[in-house]
Amino acid sequence: MSGKVKIMERKGKDLYERLYLVEVFKGMAVTFGHFISNFLDNSKLYVRHYPEQKPEITARWRGRHRLTKHEDGTMKCVACFMCQTNCPAKCIMIEAGERVDGRTEKMPVRFDIDLLECIYCGYCVEACPMDAIRMDTGIFAVTGSDRQSFVMGLDALLATPGAFTEEEYKKGGA
Amino acid sequence: MAEKVKLFVNGQEVEVEAGKNLIDAFGAIGIEIPHLCYHPALGADGNCRMCLVGIEDGRPPLVPACKTKVAEGMKVQLDAEKIKKIQRDIMELELINHPIDCPICDQAGECKLQDYYMKYDGQPSRMTVKPVLKAKKMDFGCGVVHDQERCVLCARCVRFTRLITKTGELGIVNRTDAARVNIFPGRPLNNRYALNVVDLCPVGAMTSRDFRFKQRAWFLTKSPSICHGCSKGCNIFIDHNREKYKDDVIYRYRPRLNEKVNGYFMCDEGRMTYKLENDNRLGTPRVNGREAGFDEAIESVRRAVSEAKKAVVLISPNASLEQMFAAQQFAAAINAPVSGYSDGYVKAGDGDDFLIKDDKSANRASFALLGIDDSKTAFEAALNGADLLLSFDNDLSRSLSGDALTQLLADTKLIMVASSQTDCVAKAAVAVPVASYSEDAGSLVNCDGRLQSYEVAVVKNQPAKSLIEVLHLCGGEIKSNQEARAGLQAAVAVLKDIDLEQIPAEGIALTESEVAHVAA
Repeated sequence: MSGKVKIMERKGKDLYERLYLVEVFKGMAVTFGHFISNFLDNSKLYVRHYPEQKPEITARWRGRHRLTKHEDGTMKCVACFMCQTNCPAKCIMIEAGERVDGRTEKMPVRFDIDLLECIYCGYCVEACPMDAIRMDTGIFAVTGSDRQSFVMGLDALLATPGAFTEEEYKKGGA
Repeated sequence: MAEKVKLFVNGQEVEVEAGKNLIDAFGAIGIEIPHLCYHPALGADGNCRMCLVGIEDGRPPLVPACKTKVAEGMKVQLDAEKIKKIQRDIMELELINHPIDCPICDQAGECKLQDYYMKYDGQPSRMTVKPVLKAKKMDFGCGVVHDQERCVLCARCVRFTRLITKTGELGIVNRTDAARVNIFPGRPLNNRYALNVVDLCPVGAMTSRDFRFKQRAWFLTKSPSICHGCSKGCNIFIDHNREKYKDDVIYRYRPRLNEKVNGYFMCDEGRMTYKLENDNRLGTPRVNGREAGFDEAIESVRRAVSEAKKAVVLISPNASLEQMFAAQQFAAAINAPVSGYSDGYVKAGDGDDFLIKDDKSANRASFALLGIDDSKTAFEAALNGADLLLSFDNDLSRSLSGDALTQLLADTKLIMVASSQTDCVAKAAVAVPVASYSEDAGSLVNCDGRLQSYEVAVVKNQPAKSLIEVLHLCGGEIKSNQEARAGLQAAVAVLKDIDLEQIPAEGIALTESEVAHVAA
């Protein structure tokens, strides 16, 4: 391999730099300059004020799941088990039953997603033939104080609204 | 050996069995001809046109494979463009009014329409008009749910009720778009084999109410086994699944082909016996009415056996040949008479001339083989002066009335080694749980003297010990099925030349000729 070789000039050889202290104070001046200016006015900071200031999330972001509803409020899920079958983390647990809201024949009576086991790969969303499960809630931080609170049930999944409009979500590649 | 003929498929020479039609003959050597209406047990109907093939010998350009017998030198064409087009077109016609509700269809995963669409069709629908809506979720009786929209009018179900059960409840009414499989008004399915139409239906038009929405077909593990519902010993698949965080549970039984026993079918009652394997099982051992550890229960059995003046061993007619032999040896070791008394397992007059038998136990024929007396007089004679009754999964409450059982137990201590919770178990001094047949392996002799074997299908999270292991812990000599089989070969003349470890899938008829044939 014959690449271009550039020989760098080595700095810090002269007496002024070898005195060390002068350079240290120059560096500290920069640091304290920033510190004081930020201390007096923090509006120009380069970091985000998380958690007061939430990051902007695109419609393609795979956040916490939700189950979608038809316009009349009935759930879209028909308990076909495609998401459970496709889930590589095996975190979805469904129990199917007879449908009671007047649409077709089948609906889930239990639909649990264990968020501690979920790897947020989005395969469930890809697999769903009914567009019933989405990860567009914009929730990226799930907290809880015990393991059980990380298992999202049917009601919790249905209750969370989507964070984006339909156009935004569709534009995101769904 | 069946006679063979040589013929050509797509220009390649193959050898197949003579006398069969093209679908069966090629199916046996792994060449599939798609078909919806043909079923080996129901004969060729030729209405679906899916199996049309070309034969290059001056016949009409295309013939249905289900109605064409193989012949020497025949040149069959399966992959010509015109045949592929026919298959594609037939599929398109079948799917015109199909609701494509696979997400809610229990057949999904084992559906011929799905398979054939992926294999022979694969094109998007060209329909621009609205599909014809038909009735869904119709109750056809006997636990059969019919969906007219999914139906492809292959008439398998109709032919089943006409040819096999001869009850003729189903028919196809009207023509073209209006054609529907239906029952006569107010006359639902009413035969004891009705749920076979669910297996026969190539699509999801016939589904079982019992299995409805319980599981998707692809989650189920399909383990071959033998039905213990009656003495016929129908070959079955045990479809079971262990869901996450749960136990291995059986969801359904399906018939498994055995030409020598049950053919393609089984009865509805037998199908539902899977529930006995799931529910009401004896879980924890019990000693004197309170729950106890397994070791404690075994210890109290051993103590009771050593303290007893006279013990009687009662064997279940549902036990496998190996278990019966082990129990017999155990009884001989403790000097106890053996009985197989189980009159309550026989439901006189219940059987028919097809598959259902009066005797609701699976292995009574082995009693005769091992010389175990199952008469009531012998049982009573054995009980005379006895103070301990050891029952190995024989539910006496089926044979004796409650009073008679109470009276019997007044001066006799009962020890039950049982798989399910019964009245008898509730009354027993000691109850020890054992594995049931779906969790155990063994051999059975059915009512026609056919020896069949089954393997372990279900493995519970906390598996119960097998009866032979329990017998060994209680002091029996025999440790395993293998030892029991070796003992059986030595002790029973008919089994001398049979390798009990390798019973063929169709079983062995315990008659001189066939035993000689297998041994040769």
